[in-house]
Amino acid sequence: MSDILTSYTFMIVALGTVILAIASGIIGTVSVIKGQSLIGDAVGHATFPGVVLAFMLAGTRDALTLALGALLLGIIAFFIIQIITEHSTITLDSALALVLSSFFGLGMALMSFVQGNPDFEGTQGLSDYIFGQAAYMLRSDVYLILVASGLSLLVFTLFYQQLKIYIFDPVYSRSIGISNMMMNFMILAITITLIAVGLKAVGAILIVNLLIAPAVIGQLWSDRFIHVLVIAGIAGAVSAFTGTYISTAANDIATGPAIILVLSAIVLLSLLFARKGLLRRSMLKRKVGERS
Amino acid sequence: MMIEVLFVLIVTALAASLLGVFLVLRGMAMVTDAISHTILLGIVIAFFITNDIRSPWLIIGASLVGLATVYIIELVSKTELIRQDAAIGFVFTALFAIAIMLVSKYAGNVHLDMDVVLMGEVIFAPFNRIDILGFSIPNALWQLSIILLINIIFVTLFYKELKVTSFDPKFAYIAGFSVAFIHYALMTLVSVTAVAAFDAVGSILVINFFVAPALTAYLMVKRLGAMIGLTLVFAVLNSVAGYCISFYFDLSVAGTTAFVALITFMIVFLFNSKGFISSRIQKMQQKKAFSRAMILMLMSEQSHQSLTREEIMSHFNLSTRQFNRHIDHLLINEYMEKDEERYMLTRRGEEFTHYTRLKYELPA
Repeated sequence: MSDILTSYTFMIVALGTVILAIASGIIGTVSVIKGQSLIGDAVGHATFPGVVLAFMLAGTRDALTLALGALLLGIIAFFIIQIITEHSTITLDSALALVLSSFFGLGMALMSFVQGNPDFEGTQGLSDYIFGQAAYMLRSDVYLILVASGLSLLVFTLFYQQLKIYIFDPVYSRSIGISNMMMNFMILAITITLIAVGLKAVGAILIVNLLIAPAVIGQLWSDRFIHVLVIAGIAGAVSAFTGTYISTAANDIATGPAIILVLSAIVLLSLLFARKGLLRRSMLKRKVGERS
Repeated sequence: MMIEVLFVLIVTALAASLLGVFLVLRGMAMVTDAISHTILLGIVIAFFITNDIRSPWLIIGASLVGLATVYIIELVSKTELIRQDAAIGFVFTALFAIAIMLVSKYAGNVHLDMDVVLMGEVIFAPFNRIDILGFSIPNALWQLSIILLINIIFVTLFYKELKVTSFDPKFAYIAGFSVAFIHYALMTLVSVTAVAAFDAVGSILVINFFVAPALTAYLMVKRLGAMIGLTLVFAVLNSVAGYCISFYFDLSVAGTTAFVALITFMIVFLFNSKGFISSRIQKMQQKKAFSRAMILMLMSEQSHQSLTREEIMSHFNLSTRQFNRHIDHLLINEYMEKDEERYMLTRRGEEFTHYTRLKYELPA
C-alpha cells in the first residue's frame, strides 16, 4: 500500500484530481443552488470542438493551448444558450440539449477532418479528452490544474459576500448595485475554466458529476451555505483521493470513472443517512405522528 | 451504396424527431440526453452476456437501462431533497461512469469499439446487411424503419393523449387520461429509438436528432399538427444537407448533420418573422416612432407651441444626430414646419396629436 502512496505517478495524479475536485465541488455548489447545474454538462461537451480547433490551429498537444481552445468554445456555447433562452420561448432545458449536441457534432466533424488529413500528426491523445486519461497526466497538467483551481478559489473568496447575496436574493443584490449579469458570467467563466483544465483528468462527460455531486452531498447535510461549501469541498477531495488510489491499486480501472463511483456512493449514503436524508426524515415523521 | 447511408440518416432523423416534438413540449430534452448516455451501460452489459454486437438483447437491455434512468431520476427528484436538474446531472454521469469502467476493465478481451458506440459511424451501416423478401438492405435501415413505423403508429393512436398530457398534464390527470402510461410509453420508445440509432449516429449525438428539428419548427408555428409536419421537413433537410457537406469535405456524417441542425436553427431563430433580428428592428422602429410622437405631443402643449432646436434637444436629452434624424422625418412628412430657427406644428401635426390624445385618453 505504501508503495502506491509514495509512487510518483500516484502523487502527481492524486494531487491534480484532489485539487480539481475541491475547486469543482465548491464552484459547482453555486450552479446547483441556482438550478443551472446542467449548463456545466452542455459547456463540457462544447469544449470538445475547442480542443480539436486549438490542436488544428496551434499544431501542438500542449495542455494550456488545448485548455484555451476549450475555454473559448465553452464561452461561445454559453452565450448562444443565453441568447436563445432570452430571446425566444425555448426553455433552458431544450437549448442546452441543442447546443450541447451540435457543438459536439462540430467537434466530431473537425476530428474526422484532422484524422483524415496527413498534415496533422499525433491525434491519438485527443479522444482522451472525452473520457479523460488521468493515468497519463503530466506534471504540466497538474500545474495547470493547480493554477486554475487556485485562481478560481481566489476569485470566489474575493467576491464571496456579493456572490452569496446574488445567489439567495438576486433582487436585493441588484438593488444594492451588484451586477447580476457579472456574477452569473463570473461563475460560468470559472466553471468553464475548471472544465477546460479538468478534461484530461476525468473527461468532458464525467466532470459534470464532479461539479454536481459534491454540492448535492453538501446540501443533504446542511442548510448553511458555508457548511455546504466546506462539505462539498471535502467530499470532492475524499472521492478524488480514494478513486485515484483504487484505480492505481487495481489494474485496468480508469481514474475518472473510479472517482465518480466513489462520489456516487457517498451521494447514495448521504441520501439515506444524512441529516436531511430519507431515514432521518421518516423517523421525524413517525415522531410527529406519535406526538399528535 | 452511399445513397443507403443517406437513407439510414433520414430514417433515423424522422424516427427521432417525431418523438422529439413531444420531448421538447414536455421539457424533457435533458432527460433524453441522460438516456442517450446511459443506454451505453445497457449495451455494455448485454454485450458482455451475449458477446454479439448485433444481438436484439442489446436493444432490450439498453432500453431497460434507459427506462431505469428515467425512473431513478424521478425517484430522486421526488424526494424533494435534490433538484431535478442536479438529479439528472449526477444520475446519468454515475451510470455512464459504470459503463466506461466496465469497458476499460474488459475492453482488452472483447470487440466493443468505444469510439463507434459513442460517436457512431453511419458510413459503416451498409456493411451489415440483412435479406428481407429477397432484397438485401442494411440492417440499420431495416431496424430503424420498423422503429419509425412503431413511432408513427404510437403518435397516431395516442395523438389526443399525447397532446393533452404535454400541454396540460394536470387537466389530463383530472380528465382521466393515464398520464403515467403515456409518459412511460413515450420514454420506452425514446430509449428504443436511441439504442437503434446509436450505431448510426452515436450515443452522444442522438439527442440532436431528437430535439433540433422540433425546436426549429417550434420557433415558426403554433399548432401541434403543423409543428410535427415542419419538424419532419427539417429532419430531412438537415440530413440531406449534412450528408452532402460531409460527403464533399470527407467529414463525419453524424457530426456534420448535428452541426448543420444548429445552423438551420440559428437561421430560423435570427430571420423568421418573429425572430431575433425582426423583433430587434421592430423594437427600434417603435422606439423611433415613440420619440417622434413625444416631440409632437410636447409641441401641442400651450406653452411649447414654438420651440428652438436647443429647447427640443435639451428637453429629450437628444444627441445632434438623433435630433436631425427625427426632425428631418417630421419635416418631410409635414408634421411640423420650420420658421426662422423655430419649429411649429403643422395642421397635420395638430391632427396627429389630437387623435393620439383621444386614442390614449390623455387630457387635452
